[in-house]
Amino acid sequence: MKPAAFEYHRPESAEEAVAVLGRLGDEGRILAGGQSLVPLMNFRLAQPEHVVDVNRLGEFDYVQADDRAVRVGALARQSTVEMDAAVAERAPLLREALGFVAHPPIRHRGTVVGSVAHADPAAELPAVALCLEATVTVRGERGERQIAAKDFFLGPFETAIEPGELATEVAFPASAPGTGYGFVEFARRHGDFAIAGAGVTLALRDGRIADPRVVLCGVGPTPLRAAAAERALDGGAPDEETIAAAAAAAVEGIEPPADMHGGTRYRIGVARAQVRRAIAKALDRAEGGEG
Amino acid sequence: MATNPRTNTEIPLVEKPSDLKWIGKSVKRVEDPKYLRGLGKYVADLGFDGMLHAAVVRSPYAHARILSVDTSAAKAMPGVRAVVTGAEAAEIVDPLPDSGPAPEQHVLRVLAVDKVRYVGEGVAVVIADTRYLAEDARDMVLVEYEPLDVIADPLVALADTSNLVHDDLGTNIAYERTFTFGDVEGDFAAADIIVKDKLHWHRCAAQALDNSGAIAIYDAGSGEMTLHTNSISITSFSFGLAASMRVASNKLNMVPHPSGGSFGARFSNWRTAVTAALGAKVTGRPVKYSEDRLDHILNGDQHSSDRYYELELAMTEDGIFKSYRTDVVDDYGAYIYLGVGTHGNAMAQVVGPYRIQSTEYRLRAVLTNKCQQGAYRGFGAEVANWAIERIVDKAARQLDIDPAELRRKNFIQPDQFPYHIPTGNLYDSGDYERVLDHALDEFDYAGMRAEQERMRAEGRNVGIGIVSCQERSVYSATEFWFWFDEPAAEVTSTPEGVKLVVDPMGNLNVTLYSTPFWGNSSDTMAAMLLAEDFDVDPQTIGIDYGGTKGGLPAAGPGGSRLTVMYAGAIRGAAGKIKEKARRIAAEMLEADADDLEWSDGGFQVVGSPSSRAEFADIAMTAHLFATKLPDDLQSGLEATHVYDHPYTTMPSKDRSDLGSFYPCMGHACHLAMVEVDLETGGVEILRYAAVHDAGTMVNPRSLEGQIIGGTAQGVATALLEELVYDDQGQLLSTSFMDFLMPTAMEVPELLIGHEETPSPITEYGIKGGGEAGRMMAPGAMSAAIDDALREYDVHVTDLPATPERILDWVGQKAGS
Amino acid sequence: MSDAPSRRTIELTVNGERHEVEVEPRKLLADVLRQDLGLTGLNLGCSHGVCGSCTVLLDGATARSCILFAVQADGAEITTIEGIAPSNEEMHPIQEAFWEQQGLQCGYCTPGMVLRTVELLRENPDPTREEVREGIASNLCRCTGYQFIVDSVIDAAARLREGEPDGHVRPLIGAEEAGSEDDHANPAPAAHP
Repeated sequence: MKPAAFEYHRPESAEEAVAVLGRLGDEGRILAGGQSLVPLMNFRLAQPEHVVDVNRLGEFDYVQADDRAVRVGALARQSTVEMDAAVAERAPLLREALGFVAHPPIRHRGTVVGSVAHADPAAELPAVALCLEATVTVRGERGERQIAAKDFFLGPFETAIEPGELATEVAFPASAPGTGYGFVEFARRHGDFAIAGAGVTLALRDGRIADPRVVLCGVGPTPLRAAAAERALDGGAPDEETIAAAAAAAVEGIEPPADMHGGTRYRIGVARAQVRRAIAKALDRAEGGEG
Repeated sequence: MATNPRTNTEIPLVEKPSDLKWIGKSVKRVEDPKYLRGLGKYVADLGFDGMLHAAVVRSPYAHARILSVDTSAAKAMPGVRAVVTGAEAAEIVDPLPDSGPAPEQHVLRVLAVDKVRYVGEGVAVVIADTRYLAEDARDMVLVEYEPLDVIADPLVALADTSNLVHDDLGTNIAYERTFTFGDVEGDFAAADIIVKDKLHWHRCAAQALDNSGAIAIYDAGSGEMTLHTNSISITSFSFGLAASMRVASNKLNMVPHPSGGSFGARFSNWRTAVTAALGAKVTGRPVKYSEDRLDHILNGDQHSSDRYYELELAMTEDGIFKSYRTDVVDDYGAYIYLGVGTHGNAMAQVVGPYRIQSTEYRLRAVLTNKCQQGAYRGFGAEVANWAIERIVDKAARQLDIDPAELRRKNFIQPDQFPYHIPTGNLYDSGDYERVLDHALDEFDYAGMRAEQERMRAEGRNVGIGIVSCQERSVYSATEFWFWFDEPAAEVTSTPEGVKLVVDPMGNLNVTLYSTPFWGNSSDTMAAMLLAEDFDVDPQTIGIDYGGTKGGLPAAGPGGSRLTVMYAGAIRGAAGKIKEKARRIAAEMLEADADDLEWSDGGFQVVGSPSSRAEFADIAMTAHLFATKLPDDLQSGLEATHVYDHPYTTMPSKDRSDLGSFYPCMGHACHLAMVEVDLETGGVEILRYAAVHDAGTMVNPRSLEGQIIGGTAQGVATALLEELVYDDQGQLLSTSFMDFLMPTAMEVPELLIGHEETPSPITEYGIKGGGEAGRMMAPGAMSAAIDDALREYDVHVTDLPATPERILDWVGQKAGS
Repeated sequence: MSDAPSRRTIELTVNGERHEVEVEPRKLLADVLRQDLGLTGLNLGCSHGVCGSCTVLLDGATARSCILFAVQADGAEITTIEGIAPSNEEMHPIQEAFWEQQGLQCGYCTPGMVLRTVELLRENPDPTREEVREGIASNLCRCTGYQFIVDSVIDAAARLREGEPDGHVRPLIGAEEAGSEDDHANPAPAAHP
């Protein structure tokens, strides 16, 4: 299980990186954390001719947070983001979801932006990006552009990033103080990819649910925003009936692909349970809630 | 004598010696420092000048004819020194040693020649300067296949006579026979109740973190083949491997090296050795073939049992078991190199700890297009344990009897030992009630049942399961041939030899044979046994592992035999050395040899302890002062001793009695408490207790380590691990992302207790305990899940009991 | 693709010693350490980043060397298991604890487990058994069933908190590299000038 040979590029600046990527087009594969890419290369399931190591681009190693957003640069490691106090305060859903990403040694190398750009449908961080309506900044030879999360995930491992472009930042809008949040997932083992996972943010206003957001991971070709579940929650009372209705709505029409770890019907049931639990958690934590 | 507190009966015991100084102590292991420092040299760590690396081209098809193999492009790749096809290999090496039923018909070659029979089977091997380059060239080998229909389902393969895994065999049934012991028909006819069960133990595998590997160095001048390997070599059988390599039997040296775990996967795993040897012969240079994870999981010859059971238990209306029928189909994969030995293991203890008077065992070993089975901790007896405990639980449910009490009332009683079960095997000693009571106590059974009721009242699906299982140890060779009325060779030797050398300073060195170290504390066992005999600190003893060249007969680890066999071999060798030392001491002290006694590391005159010769002085005298020795003694102080199986009896001609072939019978009771999440099917383990009886314990802590490690594997077998083949014979679980070995979060904290019912037939009364845990945990977990879901009438019939399977079972019963 | 892949000369500081190695870009850090530098303590259990037997400390934080190209580690400080014991005669308290508690059987996962323990105890010097279990969930062990590893880590924690039997507190590997208290496991992949 040794990888095939490749040409290795290690740009020292963003300009250089963009130039190299522009030249290579789809022959160039970006190496950031490498925690997903290198295993694939060891299996020779991925055999890129060119690998562009972006780990020297120190300018992207940042986590900046203010009232409006938490901006995570391309090189911010998952561990760093997980431990950042500002992230815990302003994007707690992100922090909670990070705890489910594999294991700490993987998180020491893996990057938040890299995970979002990798777009594994079972992964937690793409789901969080969708839930928080994040914006991905992408840079190429033609300049920089922002892509909203809802337009970013196109299919399994497929995003709106064009060949020759580099994702440089993901900006997660800050959750207002008092926002309730919850990320849960069910996996076969601690640290595994989820059979199904759910992320929820919401607020309580005058004893009613407001601004609900519900996402699912592991149940489709991309993370899914459960609009029907959100409608079921919006303005509803924070009670079992509302939660159950939302959970049922969340899985309406989803068709999780079957594999050896679970069939479609099974995964739907698990997803529904995760949504229910995530909503309960969020309600507990919301200001004005039980917790 | 001891008294069973419950029945107040006396138990005839061989008393464990009371004056033991080292045996029974949880001393630190002697092998640890090098592993802690990262200085344990596994085969993958070794290198030799000029060494080349092998990569095997593996078949992507489960069943296909090989039309052509074009190696020309591969040969032209950088760093490539040779590319050998299966046909070319067949001119250089012979088929691998094979104890299967018909080795001439299911010919086991190192590389496939005419057709491939499982995904991952090797069709060619590339030898190159580095593994990287070998894999590059591997990608350039062009194989033309003609796909054939895949034989994936053993139950279909049974009946299929047109699509065969091995055309020469004429059938996919490698072996079929029914063994009847006692009046099974009569006992079933007279029974009040017959309970039936249908089960499937799915395929899994040991997947030790290290894989099989070998480095071969061939000297064409002398004809010597040196193999550095982590597979056990079994000195007495290495001639078979030498023959495969077309090397003279006295010119093969299998040099053992540590393995990062085995659990059976290193048991005569010789494919890697022959692959390396093939490469060495072709290139004239040292060649290393070190399996990586894909090589091993696809082509490592080490899958577990894959059994379909139909069972019947005959009992009286108050739950006394009378007779037991097993009908088992075992999917062996494409080859069957260990024969049906895993069923011999089953038959060693097929009736469990119960007084069942008759039993029938119908076996059909089927071949399919999958990687073949090998040995995995339990070697088939763990599966039989699970089977009988499943049906006993079913019986308990049917009779509405507490599962612990149903077991208790059927136990073989202490005064019945030594006890022959209907198959003929002997159970040497045991006190099953004592183990049960200890386990119930350790677990706080009554308290936990109350806790369970409290939790169930809250709507939680909580269950408790209990099993009482046997753990046989120390196999005889007969179990490999009593399957046939006319066996090719009625082998009866499974020896263990050691060589003990005392140097002039009085320091000891023991040489062990046939085996590398693979985590089973072999160094520490040998050192502690020697420490007991010579009154020295185990950490001071020198230990090495001898190769097969000039090696003593030995069978190595397997069937939890090693500690028992070392005890006998070391006792024997130590005795010979002490005899010579006594006579030398007598000369030194000018006393009569008969007036001397061994005490505290030396010989002294009985009643006159000041008249004493220290062992170090005796050793120095032995080595350097020839004229001071008795006339008939030579210089030096060393001995070898080969210890044979302590108790084997032959099977009867008609096989109505298989004889005693696995007599050192350990026993354990496991209890598990679980909670099942009905939304996800997830199982959480709330509490787990294990009480084991492996006779006299040598190092209780290291035995506990085996129990916990084995239980972890058993829990994983019950919940997580499965090698899933699809209907095209593609293995879906090819990585650690899909073959789910447990992390620390999936394994419970164990409450452990010990009992010691010494063996009457071994030194110190030791029994084997290395397979501990894995032989019990699957049953305990299954029972606990059943209990948690009792209102849905769930009965776990398939392992692993995955979350999805659990919900399916609940759904089937709940009608949803 | 070119016939001869372009090799690079990289600099690795391993267990305090600087090495210059010329490597193909695709050569895994695990293989460079094991083959080029002869540090065979780390082991390859899966080659796809799941088992953790290949764990090293890279700029103070645990990393899986089987899924890192050596070129990525150019300029980094690496600690392997061979760099943990203070001398040939003495072992690190964590190693002593594992020995005392029989926290190993075959030893294959042990180097990775010990290095992970270094990191765990640096972050949390007084962990509960549950915290230890979760912390070591990153590293697979097939032999022990983990319980004695948990015992070992708890024992090691006590030894480190209380100092050595002779009263000296051994410096934790990576304690300086880790930086501030809040900077738990930040490997600081800073740009190099």
